Amino acid sequence: MPEIERIVETVREGRVPAGIYSQPEVFERERERLFTRTWQFLAHESEVPEPGDYVVRRVLDDSFIVVRDERGQLRALLNMCRHRGMQVCRAELGNASHFRCPYHAWTYRNTGELVGVPFHAESYGGDAVLDRGDRGLVPAPRLDTYRGMVFVSLDERAPDLREYLGGFAFYLDLYLHQSEAGVEVRGPQRWLVQANWKIGAENFAGDSYHTPHTHASIVEIGLFREPKASRRKEGALYVADRGAGTTYKLPTADLDENLAHLGYPPEMAARMRDAWSPAQRTLAGEAGFMVSASTVFPNLSLVHNWPQVDADGLVVPFISIRQWQPVGPAQTEVLSWFAVDRQAPAWFKDASYRAYLLCFGSSGMFEQDDVENWTSITSVTRGALARRTLLDSRMGLDRDGAVLASPVAGWPGPGVAYTGFGEYGQRQILRLWSEYVA
Amino acid sequence: MSAALTAEQRLAAHDFLVAEAEALDERRYRDWLLMLTDDVRYRMPVRVTVHAGGDSQLAGMDHFDEDRYTLGKRVERLSGEHAWTEDPPSRMRRFVTNVRCAPGPGEGEIAVRSYLLLFRSRGDTRPPEWVAAERRDVLRSVGDALRLRSREITVDESVLRTQNLAVFL
Repeated sequence: MPEIERIVETVREGRVPAGIYSQPEVFERERERLFTRTWQFLAHESEVPEPGDYVVRRVLDDSFIVVRDERGQLRALLNMCRHRGMQVCRAELGNASHFRCPYHAWTYRNTGELVGVPFHAESYGGDAVLDRGDRGLVPAPRLDTYRGMVFVSLDERAPDLREYLGGFAFYLDLYLHQSEAGVEVRGPQRWLVQANWKIGAENFAGDSYHTPHTHASIVEIGLFREPKASRRKEGALYVADRGAGTTYKLPTADLDENLAHLGYPPEMAARMRDAWSPAQRTLAGEAGFMVSASTVFPNLSLVHNWPQVDADGLVVPFISIRQWQPVGPAQTEVLSWFAVDRQAPAWFKDASYRAYLLCFGSSGMFEQDDVENWTSITSVTRGALARRTLLDSRMGLDRDGAVLASPVAGWPGPGVAYTGFGEYGQRQILRLWSEYVA
Repeated sequence: MSAALTAEQRLAAHDFLVAEAEALDERRYRDWLLMLTDDVRYRMPVRVTVHAGGDSQLAGMDHFDEDRYTLGKRVERLSGEHAWTEDPPSRMRRFVTNVRCAPGPGEGEIAVRSYLLLFRSRGDTRPPEWVAAERRDVLRSVGDALRLRSREITVDESVLRTQNLAVFL
């Protein structure tokens, strides 16, 4: 059996050869079978609010122009001229009605339609020979949005986005649907880390166990009071279809009191009450859990924390969306956005933004220590002995693979949830991974 | 605008930048905090690739947007025992050049522009990381000394090639 098949088979059996975090053969398999078939996040609609607004984003090596056309329709167009393959757009954002290739000036409308070919009639014989209607920029095979999040899939046969997300959409709403208006995003900050993309995805999907130790300094300086082990293990870890995440236990069984505890002002809490379903209100109210970190398979993560942002003790929550964009087996570009409800008051948006910068992103104090760990893992797992050594991702299972804990009774959301520490979310990400790469 | 700067003022501004770079290279962060005014503003906007003539600062997003409280928290963390990202510490060297001084916006203030190249080495197997930037500072006379009143860092990469900003620029 080729080595890659043995590796995949081992992961399917629930064991983790360390080499999946650095081996080139593994990354090649992911490139072939995973990123070509999953739904990939590209942008949030608020990044391209006006006709002609565009951002350029990637699905691995494929560059896409995410553009709102003159009629307001969102499109994701492959950023490659149909003539000789030149990038038609080399900026990362802007506003344009047309994209003109710098090489030979083939010109495309922002719908992707080819409208200009120099000397089209005399050199090509006009549309009878080179039909411009057949030579537009290649659209992403599938494009869909959920709560303003623009996703594409390179696979025409991918399930619909809503079906792909499954029960995890319920949890996404707690971040992205705090009012009928939804969120607006700022960013992204972009930076390169010498780490494999899966490590961040797994971490956000359920690693509450690392928080008390990796992020000990955050508690020590009084930035965020929650990550102590005693508090962290009271939170529930949940798994729901193509996503998984962590929560913190809230102090009461009352939604308004809990939201006030997180630092949401009453007007925002009132809008959440209106926007959320009864089950979503129950999760943050009677059940008393609030979403924190999570991952949508394969490489999109979210985080929601509520640190203290000034000397007077003001606690303000923030939301970040981040993508672990693979560059190679041992290198990842992190794209990190700040998200906030569009209807939030201006003071809240400012304070929440400060909270984000303190905690996450390129300078964030949580993220700094995370990336150090992930870089180190990626580097050391390259070794010939290291890569075949099995790592442990079985916390919360007995010897036979049965879950030790009982699920949280009456959990209001889709999927299953457990309190205490356990690697449920990480195993879910690896389970999905092994299905796609097999 | 006050009158043109004296040679002594220019020299003092120069000396400030060199002493600051030394404190940061040596990770004497508490000393560095003493070099800031209480109302300091410290900002590093995100740069983006845009077409010629466009604004290369990404609106609404920074790598840093700090005041004395948040810088103090960052220093407090780096000074503790559990800031793993800097333990073992990076070996750093800040090269400060192309210093240009002009009268600042307020009384006793000097506007200073400088180029900064940070070399950062971590561990034994990773390639070193570099950050190149221009800094636009306002230095203010407080007593006998100059202090940093504001800094805007214009970084030259849109995608940073350093694993994090657990460093000050």
